[in-house]
Amino acid sequence: MILRPRRDDLRAITWGMGRIVLAVGLLMLIPLLTSLVCAEWDMAINFVIGMLSCLILWLVTESHRPKKRDLTWFQGLVVVSGGWLLATLFGAIPHWLSGHFQSFLDACFDIMSGYTATGLITVQDLDHAAHGFNMWRHVLTYGGGLGIVVIALTFLFAGTAGAFRIYVGEGREEKILPNVVRSARAIWMISLIYLVVFSSALWLVLMREGMPAGRGFLHSLWLVMGAWATAGFTPQSLNLMYYRSFTVELVTLVIFVLGAVNFALHYAVWNGRRREILKNIEVRSFFVTVLLTTLLLAIGFVREGVYTDLTTFFRRGFYNLVSGHTGTGNTTVFSVAYFKEFGFLATFAVITAMAIGGSACSTASGFKGLRMGILFRSIRQEIRRIMSPESAVVMEKVHHLRDIWLTGEVVRTAFLIILCYCAIYFAGAILGMAYGYPPHVAFFDSVSAGSNTGLSAGMVGPTMPNLLKVYFIFSMWAGRLEFVSIFALVGFAGVLWRGRRARKT
Amino acid sequence: MREDMSRLTVFFLVAMVLGAMVQSSGWSAAYCKADSRPVEKVSIRDLVENLDHYDRKEVEIEGEVVGDVMRRGGGAWITVNDDPYSQRSLPEGGQHAGVTNTGIGVWVLGHMVDVISYTGSYKSKGDRVRIRGTFHRVCPQHGGDTDLHAHSLELVERGRPIRQEVPAWKGPLAAALALLALLLWRKMYAKRRKRPGIA
Repeated sequence: MILRPRRDDLRAITWGMGRIVLAVGLLMLIPLLTSLVCAEWDMAINFVIGMLSCLILWLVTESHRPKKRDLTWFQGLVVVSGGWLLATLFGAIPHWLSGHFQSFLDACFDIMSGYTATGLITVQDLDHAAHGFNMWRHVLTYGGGLGIVVIALTFLFAGTAGAFRIYVGEGREEKILPNVVRSARAIWMISLIYLVVFSSALWLVLMREGMPAGRGFLHSLWLVMGAWATAGFTPQSLNLMYYRSFTVELVTLVIFVLGAVNFALHYAVWNGRRREILKNIEVRSFFVTVLLTTLLLAIGFVREGVYTDLTTFFRRGFYNLVSGHTGTGNTTVFSVAYFKEFGFLATFAVITAMAIGGSACSTASGFKGLRMGILFRSIRQEIRRIMSPESAVVMEKVHHLRDIWLTGEVVRTAFLIILCYCAIYFAGAILGMAYGYPPHVAFFDSVSAGSNTGLSAGMVGPTMPNLLKVYFIFSMWAGRLEFVSIFALVGFAGVLWRGRRARKT
Repeated sequence: MREDMSRLTVFFLVAMVLGAMVQSSGWSAAYCKADSRPVEKVSIRDLVENLDHYDRKEVEIEGEVVGDVMRRGGGAWITVNDDPYSQRSLPEGGQHAGVTNTGIGVWVLGHMVDVISYTGSYKSKGDRVRIRGTFHRVCPQHGGDTDLHAHSLELVERGRPIRQEVPAWKGPLAAALALLALLLWRKMYAKRRKRPGIA
């Protein structure tokens, strides 16, 4: 039974949420500076209003902060899930004021899509958007990919033991370093180094491809932010088709594959443990599932007689498949191509890849490679158990930075999370079909939202019914936080609603 | 008489030099006048939704050039949009049309793009152009891209810079929020001084 929260519990939760919203306000400094440099005065004032709103909320929560500045497990989980919702509402202020959204709900949709590194959009007239606006879209997706809580942890929660609880609440279980704040800083360091290296490389490529230096610089930065965060946001509505460049596609492919790799694995490799790449269950799982889905994609294309030469297969097929598998959503085809060109089998391959997703503790979502590994090893364990003598003890293990024995609890947890993902995929598809969308389109977009991918077969857009928008906001949020924090928030709302007076002594 | 002849010679020489300059810059009449051959005029949405039907057919599109003119290998890539925002964009004061942009990449020969002065962005309305060309569902020349290879490009309407205006209510709203933040800051600071360590 969850006990009714006391005043101090509420203060601790709102204090934590206030700090997350403050982190969002601080992030707005980057697009504000961009707008000022580019003389986009209207956008600049939108960011000033957004920042001040975040600051006011933080001041209100800070002036009522609890005596004991630490968070219990339950408080930590509620802070994360509630903090993400509040961060969405406040982050949507500059979006809404920009005039590129038909409603505040649409603005919230794009913000949640950004934070969760999904990449689905309802923005209108993106091709006439300000640089500041695009900077905000990409900064929030870059920050969201790493984790809003990771941002807050880096600067705003230092020294509190509850930091680990909110870190875990954001769908990460692994500490890269013994100290969680140092882990958050390590995630930032890894991401910033990749940002500098890849955006410099991409800048040169874009200039070679005919873009002016100034815009090339901004586009390279945004493309790397979008790809590294496995979000798939781009500054132009044609997405990767805008650049018409094999090299740009190749570079972004490398970036989003790296983005889908566990931060802990990045850190281990950086520290000389290179053999970990070959041994790691997530890398092996990713390799196998990419191989199988690519095979399925190729068979599908051969059956349909499309994209059969190697270059076209790579650019139109493999690129989108890996983009889906890593939960990115960068695309080189029009959305209608998924059901008009790809055919059933190839579309099924992309949907499967999206559903599986990338690695745990990365910027990707979906079932995750680790859970797929656990799933297959546990099936193998059961088969071996059946075939062995009754007295034999059969145990399987997976290697993920260390050896993990597949105990009943490990397997049960993995199955439960996979089941939750399947539930949000199917529920969204059924809702979409109820609104009259074709089943394959509804299923494609629902999996895309729940796995935080961002590829679309055409259902998601500004004219999508509001209930579907709300559902997909929930789906992206739940998929990104991996459900546990959401369950905690629902439990918290439940006890507040019921008004139980039982108190912890 | 002799003076008139020499004037005439100079006039012809100047005319020839100017003509050569215009020809070499590629701004020839062929790209500014409409092609009179009958070609199906389509919207970009039609093209994208009926890839098979229009594959390798000559079509005509009309829309706004947006983004960048990316010159490479003797030609250039431009993006042409024909959605409602190509008529009047949101920064210009256009209304929400309930759609994202609808555009397509067009491959044009290098000299054709010289007529383009403005491309659509937050700060400018792009040139409106009419393009005739061959549509490719899977372009063999460009690694399987879906694109349009322009045969002719006609300028329909010259673009222009867009004047940005900040709505009058935003300034006072920002000022009011700043004042509120300042008051809350002072209140919090005073509270902390009274009871250090606790809220």
